[in-house]
Amino acid sequence: MLSVISYPLFAISVILALVLSISLFPVGWFEFRPEWLGLVVFYWTLRAPAQFGVVLAWCLGLLLDVLEATTLGVNAVSMAVIAFLVLAMHQRLRMYPVAQQCLVVFLVLGINQMLVHFLKQFLGADSPGFAYLWPALTSAIAWPFVAAAFDNLNRKLG
Amino acid sequence: MIPWEGLTIKTIFVQGPVPGFRLILVMLVSAALIAADARFEQLASVRSTLATGLAPVHWLGNAPYRFSDWVADLFVSRGDLEEQNEELKTRLLILERRALKYAALAAENNELRRLLNSSESVDDRVIIAEVVGVSPDPFSHEVIINKGANDNLRPGQAVLDSQGLMGQVINTSQFTSRVLLISDSSHAVPVEVVRNGLRYILLGNGDREQLELIHVPDTADIREGDMLVSSGLGGRFPRGYPVAEVSNIVKEPGESFMSIQATPKARLNQSRLLLVVFPPQENVEPVPEESVEAESANNDGSGGAD
Repeated sequence: MLSVISYPLFAISVILALVLSISLFPVGWFEFRPEWLGLVVFYWTLRAPAQFGVVLAWCLGLLLDVLEATTLGVNAVSMAVIAFLVLAMHQRLRMYPVAQQCLVVFLVLGINQMLVHFLKQFLGADSPGFAYLWPALTSAIAWPFVAAAFDNLNRKLG
Repeated sequence: MIPWEGLTIKTIFVQGPVPGFRLILVMLVSAALIAADARFEQLASVRSTLATGLAPVHWLGNAPYRFSDWVADLFVSRGDLEEQNEELKTRLLILERRALKYAALAAENNELRRLLNSSESVDDRVIIAEVVGVSPDPFSHEVIINKGANDNLRPGQAVLDSQGLMGQVINTSQFTSRVLLISDSSHAVPVEVVRNGLRYILLGNGDREQLELIHVPDTADIREGDMLVSSGLGGRFPRGYPVAEVSNIVKEPGESFMSIQATPKARLNQSRLLLVVFPPQENVEPVPEESVEAESANNDGSGGAD
């Protein structure tokens, strides 16, 4: 838990995550795009569990639903699940070494992606096999860098 | 927070027990939202409002591309520009000549139609839009364009590029709209073969380079290289725009239908400038009552046949 957190940084990180989830990635590689908003929710619920929680994550997921034109509520509930899982284990999670944190990021975002695709298929989408788990893997790889960058900025701005 | 001997202690366990109650609450709300959005149309306005609020995100997402375009423009030499200008002038001349011929043909066609007592065909009104985003979901083929409800766009309008039909508008916000491409696996276009007027349905199958022509009987007269244009049946797409070219025909003995692939004419993943077609104004001329009825009966008949 950081002693100080910076709310402007939170707002900027959310906007950045939303922009990154629709842009700035090679078109042919969309499958591998990290789930940026999921990472942001993961980071803020881990660092400041008192301020950020399930409901806020749900609201951010709703924005992602609008951007991705999925059925309203699909990404929202999946983001809420990320926040819930992190809240449930944030005390242990903070003690973990970086590699183990990455593994947890992979598992939690994997559950998020699974839930999204389960709901989409339930509503009639095609089944893409297991390709939908790529974002969880790339997010896990991106996690140490994202966390380090936000920690630094938090310390400077907070 | 625990008030304890008049002192408020900030504990590490700020959340107390696992916040399962909120999760259950949020899940119930989501279930209601999903059911409402998937089955009914009430949430379209909510989505449109949120999308309008998110317009800056689209703008920011597109900014780097505009910036790189701008930088590229900065470093174009005068010679290049002159050359390009010359080229465009030549091209304009050629197209103008064609347009002259087309105007004469269109007039002649309308004259013939009038002689046949059928309705005059009017040129479609279009508006130019730019692609500002691509759907982040790799399994759906959608693009976002920079024209929205403010420019009178409505869901259901056809979208073209310079080569052929791209797709249709599926929802609009104030400043942007979402276009479903013809290659999306949930999209279908009614088409006809230019050579002989056979009418079929062209399905998208999630592949940008290939569409699927379905329910073509084994004996149908269709060849590789045949051009497919929109047939205008169903009333969604205007008639006569090129959609795809038949690229591969496989006849399987024992199957009642051939399996036919077609290559889309539009450059689905390259075009940045698109044309959105407005449907022709319906009440330009008041049409006598009985002819309207006859026409709708005709439409019903043809709709049933397909």
